[in-house]
Amino acid sequence: MGSDRMEVIRRDITANKMIKMNRLFTKLMSRNFWLKSIYRLFTYVLLMDLAFIFLFPFIHMLVTSLKTPLDVLDITVKWVPRSLYWQNYTRALKALDYGTTFINSVIITTLGTIGHVISCSFAAYGFARYRFPLRNFLFTIVLITIIIPVQVVIFPLVIQYSNMGWLNTHLPLIVPTFFGFGLRGSLFVFIFHQFFLGLPYELEEAARIDGCGAIRTYWKIVLPVANTSVLVCTVLSMVWHWNDYFEPSIYLMKPQKLMLPAKLPTLYQNLEALSKQAASPEMEIIYNEAIVMAATFLVILPVLIVYLILQRKFMEGIERSGLVG
Amino acid sequence: MKGKLRLTMNQKTKLEGYFFILPWLIGFIAFFAMPFFKSIQLSFSKITKIAGFEMEWIGWQHYAKAFTWDVYFVPMFINTMRNTLITIPLTVVFSLFIAILINRNIKFKGFFRGAFFIPVLLGTGFVMKQLLGMNVQNQAIEVAMGIVMPDEILNYLGPDIAAYVTEFMYRITLIFWRSGVQVVLFLAGLQSIPNSMYEAARCDAATEWEMLWKITLPMITPVISLNCIYTLIDSFTDVNNPIVDYILDMGFKSVQYEYAAAMSWIYLLFVFIVVILIFVIFRRFSYDSKEG
Repeated sequence: MGSDRMEVIRRDITANKMIKMNRLFTKLMSRNFWLKSIYRLFTYVLLMDLAFIFLFPFIHMLVTSLKTPLDVLDITVKWVPRSLYWQNYTRALKALDYGTTFINSVIITTLGTIGHVISCSFAAYGFARYRFPLRNFLFTIVLITIIIPVQVVIFPLVIQYSNMGWLNTHLPLIVPTFFGFGLRGSLFVFIFHQFFLGLPYELEEAARIDGCGAIRTYWKIVLPVANTSVLVCTVLSMVWHWNDYFEPSIYLMKPQKLMLPAKLPTLYQNLEALSKQAASPEMEIIYNEAIVMAATFLVILPVLIVYLILQRKFMEGIERSGLVG
Repeated sequence: MKGKLRLTMNQKTKLEGYFFILPWLIGFIAFFAMPFFKSIQLSFSKITKIAGFEMEWIGWQHYAKAFTWDVYFVPMFINTMRNTLITIPLTVVFSLFIAILINRNIKFKGFFRGAFFIPVLLGTGFVMKQLLGMNVQNQAIEVAMGIVMPDEILNYLGPDIAAYVTEFMYRITLIFWRSGVQVVLFLAGLQSIPNSMYEAARCDAATEWEMLWKITLPMITPVISLNCIYTLIDSFTDVNNPIVDYILDMGFKSVQYEYAAAMSWIYLLFVFIVVILIFVIFRRFSYDSKEG
C-alpha cells in the first residue's frame, strides 16, 4: 500500500518534471524568448557601461590618489597601484590647510542649508496656501529670479556688501539664504511650493479648528509632513553650497576665510610654500597627478559621505515630492 | 455683525499670507531688486565715486563698445550661444534616455539610481576643473566605448568618421556628468505617469515603442521643459562657459564694472530669449498632444 503511494507520487514528480522540461524546451525554441534575453542582456551591458562613466571620476580619484610618484609615471600601472601610498593624503591635507578650510566650509554649508530649508519653505507656504493681492505677480517674480543668474547682479552686490563691511566674512553667503535667496534660493521656493500645492488641506484645517496659530501650524504640522521635500532641498542645497565656487571666490579673499574647494587651484603654490617653510628633504615638492587627485578626493569626501547616508531616502523623496507632478 | 466678522477673517488671512512671504520680500528687495536695478543703471553709466556709488548717465556707450570695439566679446558670445543651444537638447535627450532605462523593471535599481546622481557631487567648480585638467573624461569614455563599440568598428569606418565619433563622445561624457539632476527629475516625472495608461495600451496591443511616443513623451512634456530651463541655468556656472569668466575678469581684474554689467545684460537677454523659445516650443507640443 505504502509503496504504491510512493509509486504514484514518484510518477507525479516525473510527470511534473516532464512538463517543466517541456515548457523550458518550448521556451528555448521560441524566437521571442531569445530576442527578449538578448535585449535584456544588452540593456544591462548598456546600463553598466553608462554607470561606469558616471562612477569613473570617483574610481579614478581613489586609484590615482594612492599611487606612488613612480606609479604615476608608469603607464602599465593603470587600475591597481603597486602599493598604497598614503603620503599623498598627508601632503594634500597640509596643502589644503584642511583644519581651517574644512571648518569654514562646514559652517557655510550647514547654516546656508538650514537657512534655505526654513526660509524657502516658509515663503512657499505663504504662496501656496494664502490668497492675497499681488500673489500671482510676486510668484512670477520668484520664477523670474530662478532664471536670472547671480552673475548679472554681482557687481552692484559686491559694492553693496563692501559698503556694509561684509566682504571677507561669511555673511554674504549665509544671510541671503535666511531670506529665501542665496545660492538658487528661488528654486527651493519653487520646489516647496509644488509640494505644498499637492498637500491636502484637511490636516491644516483640523489644526486651525483646534486653535493652532498660523506659525504653529506651519512649524508643527506642515513642515514635518513635508519631510521628503525638506530632504530633497537639504541634499541639493548642501551639495551646491559645498561645491560653489563663484560667489565664495568673489567675497572671500583672506586665507583663513576660504572654503575648501577654493584651495584647489593654488595647490601647487601651497605645496611650494610648505616645502620652503619646512626646509627639510622629506617635504620636497612632489606635485603630480596623484597628489592632485588626493586633494580633490579630500574636498568631496565629506559631501560624499553625507550623500551616501541620505541617498536612499533622497531618491525616494524626489520621486514622491510631487516636484514635477 | 456676521458680515463684519467674515471681512476681518478675510483680512486676517491676507495679513497672514503677507506675513509668510515677508522674509522673502525683504530678501528680494535687499539681495535682488536693489542690485538688479543698480545693475541696469550701472550698464548705462559711468562711476564717478565708488564709495557712495555715485554714477553719471552716459547712455548706450557700453553696449556699443561690446559690439564694435571689443574684439573678444562677439566671438565668445557666439561660441557660448552655440554651446548652450547644442548642450540643452543633448542633455535632455540623454537624461531622458537614462531615466527611461532605469525606470524599467530592472535589478539593482537602487544602485543605478544612486550612480547616475553621483557626478552632481563633483559640482561644476574647482573640483570639476581639476578632473578636466587630468583629461579624466576622455579616459572614462575610452574604456566605456571599448565595451559597446570595439576599436575595429571605428577602424572600419575610416579615420574621418572615427575622429568625429570620438570628438562627439568626449563632449557627451561631460554632458553625462552634468545630467544627474535632470535624470532624477525625469525619474520623478516617469513615476507620476499612472500605470493604468500603459496597461490599457497593452490591452490594445501597443508596442513599447508606440507607448514611448504616445504615452510617455506627451505625459512628460512639462518635465522636459523644466529640464531645459534647469540645464540653461546650470550652464551659467559651467567652468567651460568662457563668457562668464570674461565678464568677471573685466569687472574684477580690469575694474570696469560698468562695461562688465553691460555685457552681462547682453548675456541675460540671450538667456531670456532661450527661455521664451523653450516656452513657445513646449506650449505648441503640449497643445498638439492634447488635440491628438
